[in-house]
Amino acid sequence: MAATALIETCDLGRAYGGKWAVRHLGLQVARGEIYGFLGQNGAGKTTTIRMLAALLRPSEGSLRIDGIDPRVAPRALKQRVGLVPDTPPLHDYLTGRQYVGLVASLWHVGRRERDARAERLFALLQLEEAADELCKGYSHGMRKKVHLAAVLATAPPVLLLDEATTGLDPIGVRRLKDLLLEESARGTTILFSTHVLETAEQICHRVGILVRGTLRAEGTVADLRAAHGGASLEDVFLATATGAAAGGGDGPARD
Amino acid sequence: MGLLATDLRALANLPGTRAGRRIVAGTGIGLGLLALMSWWGTGELLAHPRLLQMVLPATGEPLVGLLGFGLGACPVAASWIGLALAQRQLFESPELNLWLAAPLPRWRPALQVLLRASFLALLWGTALAGPVVGGLLASKQAPWPAYALAPLALLVCTVPLLAALLGVQLVLVRFFAGRVLRLVLTLVSALASAGFSTWLLVGLFTAAEERLPQLAAAGAGAGRLPWTIDSAAHLLAAAAGGRCDVSALASALGWLAAALAGFVALGHLHPRAVEKHLESQPPLRRRRSGWPSSVAGAIRRKEFAQVLQQPGALLGFLAFAVLVVALARQRVLVGGLLDASRLPPDLASVAAMLVLWFVAVLLVLYAHMGRLAMWDGPQWPLYLAAPARPVAILWGKLQAVALFLLWPLVVVGAAGSQMLGAGPAAVGLFAAVALAGTVAALGVLAAVGTWPRLMRPDDAGQIVQGGRSFLAALVLVVAFELVAAPVYFGWPLLVDAPQQRLAGGAGPASLHGWAVPAIWLFALLAGASGFGLGVRNYGRLLRAR
Ligand SMILES: Nc1ncnc2c1ncn2[C@@H]1O[C@H](COP(=O)(O)OP(=O)(O)O)[C@@H](O)[C@H]1O
Ligand SMILES: [Mg+2]
Repeated sequence: MAATALIETCDLGRAYGGKWAVRHLGLQVARGEIYGFLGQNGAGKTTTIRMLAALLRPSEGSLRIDGIDPRVAPRALKQRVGLVPDTPPLHDYLTGRQYVGLVASLWHVGRRERDARAERLFALLQLEEAADELCKGYSHGMRKKVHLAAVLATAPPVLLLDEATTGLDPIGVRRLKDLLLEESARGTTILFSTHVLETAEQICHRVGILVRGTLRAEGTVADLRAAHGGASLEDVFLATATGAAAGGGDGPARD
Repeated sequence: MGLLATDLRALANLPGTRAGRRIVAGTGIGLGLLALMSWWGTGELLAHPRLLQMVLPATGEPLVGLLGFGLGACPVAASWIGLALAQRQLFESPELNLWLAAPLPRWRPALQVLLRASFLALLWGTALAGPVVGGLLASKQAPWPAYALAPLALLVCTVPLLAALLGVQLVLVRFFAGRVLRLVLTLVSALASAGFSTWLLVGLFTAAEERLPQLAAAGAGAGRLPWTIDSAAHLLAAAAGGRCDVSALASALGWLAAALAGFVALGHLHPRAVEKHLESQPPLRRRRSGWPSSVAGAIRRKEFAQVLQQPGALLGFLAFAVLVVALARQRVLVGGLLDASRLPPDLASVAAMLVLWFVAVLLVLYAHMGRLAMWDGPQWPLYLAAPARPVAILWGKLQAVALFLLWPLVVVGAAGSQMLGAGPAAVGLFAAVALAGTVAALGVLAAVGTWPRLMRPDDAGQIVQGGRSFLAALVLVVAFELVAAPVYFGWPLLVDAPQQRLAGGAGPASLHGWAVPAIWLFALLAGASGFGLGVRNYGRLLRAR
């Protein structure tokens, strides 16, 4: 599997002012895989994703996307990556459609492909009404959806989503999940950070649990649950996140 | 007093962090330079008792008039802040969500906006008026209570006016909110911003010999001061003579109390006014249109769209034209040039237009600099994440800015031909030189507007403006003046050469011979080196942190 890993990190670490936010991170995500990145607030998910998108320089270790090292060819790497950050960087005085056009051109996508993809995505994400209004008036969820549409219109082989479901309505979440599954089936590699364990459980092929900057558990949801004596993913998460000392799945007596 | 304590706490925290220290340093340097400017311009003149005696009339209360003149900077700063900055704070600040939801008295959030605006206006007022008032008091060898009363005087000249401006806006929005009022308020705010910068620039370029008559007039004008300034000026004048003017003190304190009380009363309208303001903005729909697929093309298009689709931006362009025409009509800064008889009239009008153009470009240069990086601060992570080449992004932005920079040229050209008596040949010559100047200005913008020291993105990828935007404005103005300096100093050469040929009736056309090509060569050089620097800077701004 490692041979076809599109996202690959080795001993990756990043410090802010001498404090480590992420450390000794080794990730391997294969082509077409949906990888769920779980962790508490401040665990280091955003930091990792920003390093993968070549926005942040690692303080130690290395990473490769599709075999490309950001230190060697940052632009070639960025061309392959679509990033959906927590706060979408929309321009207030552009319309949603114009914003999609801007992003597509920054990623060197031709007009025809862009327009075809955008139409489909607008329809899917229920944005047709809003697409010709200025982004200034959008709600948080709409901003997210518009940015998502813009990123997907560039058809990136690697998708990095940072808490993409927050702010979306239930229909939006559902459409997003469908979209991600469909993208994955087409071979897109997806790294998906979230707090919503249910979503992770539904669509992720594998999940990793990040605790204070290091990866504490990794595997398919079924494997993780089995390792904790059949507990729910929530229990696995709580046990892993709140002290690895608790160890096995016997700790939390919920339900 | 929770809100006030929070603000004070935030201020006190500033020196504790790196970003905060930068803000403090940037603001301090900027205001310090303004104070220095004000001292060199007027304060220094007034600090010489002999000179002061010469300009002052023997009768009346000259000191009161002069103090009033000095304090006059406070209401100017207050008007700018009240109309341009506080307007947004009052109705659109994100903090309003918290303040209006909190169990505070209805008027409390509005009062907080007033307090913040007063603080800011007082900073500016002190920088601008402080040196003049200080110079005057020093020349009179005033005792220390006079200096101790100076802050009160500044306060009286600032707060009541601010309260009135904000109060009027509150009432208007509360009862007349709608599309029209939105446009009107935006236009007023654009005019206030442009007017304030013009006021500063004109002050900067006014020569000392033009100031003396102004001062003499001010000294004679004690009776004609507005009420608030009048009581402040009387208070200080009496204190300078070692007396305490009780009625002036009472009236000053009365003004402050009345302003605060009146504003608190009006503050009750604030929550409803904010609601109305939000309601008055229906979503704007835009026609769909093709969007270019090349990077530079898309960026250029984006810049245009942001101007065309943002009502305030377009109104800003309009307000700018109104101001430039007003300057031309009043012959501000160019009266002397036009009346100088040793110049042929055509050449004089070219020179006058060039001076106006220079001032006009200085007025808008900062705003256009923002387009290169600063104003896209929150969107910077998008550019950081994109595979587009930095040079393509910068190129697209500069193309848009180049077109925007033609506006001053057009406006000044039109004003020149209508109001300064410039013929077609003169306008053509002006356009040739000003076009070269535009190229040079673009170079300056490209170099300064992307300078990483002024625009560095933070770890989260966003460009933080902070106090550095003020510093950036100063750097920009100085850089543009440096680039224009050769033309300024070459001007006498230029004027004398055709004058010798004037006997032969050559006129300004003879300038085409060598001056215009030389200016163009220089401008192209400046433009190209600026662009080169800009490309290098942009690469750094768009690198991983
Ligand atoms: N720009 C920054 N400067 C300093 N510390 C930061 C910065 N960004 C993140 N951190 C710290 O790094 C850690 C991880 O943050 P982050 O990656 O945002 O976590 P997550 O996305 O998992 O909530 C946190 O402790 C946070 O305080
Ligand atoms: Mg995060």
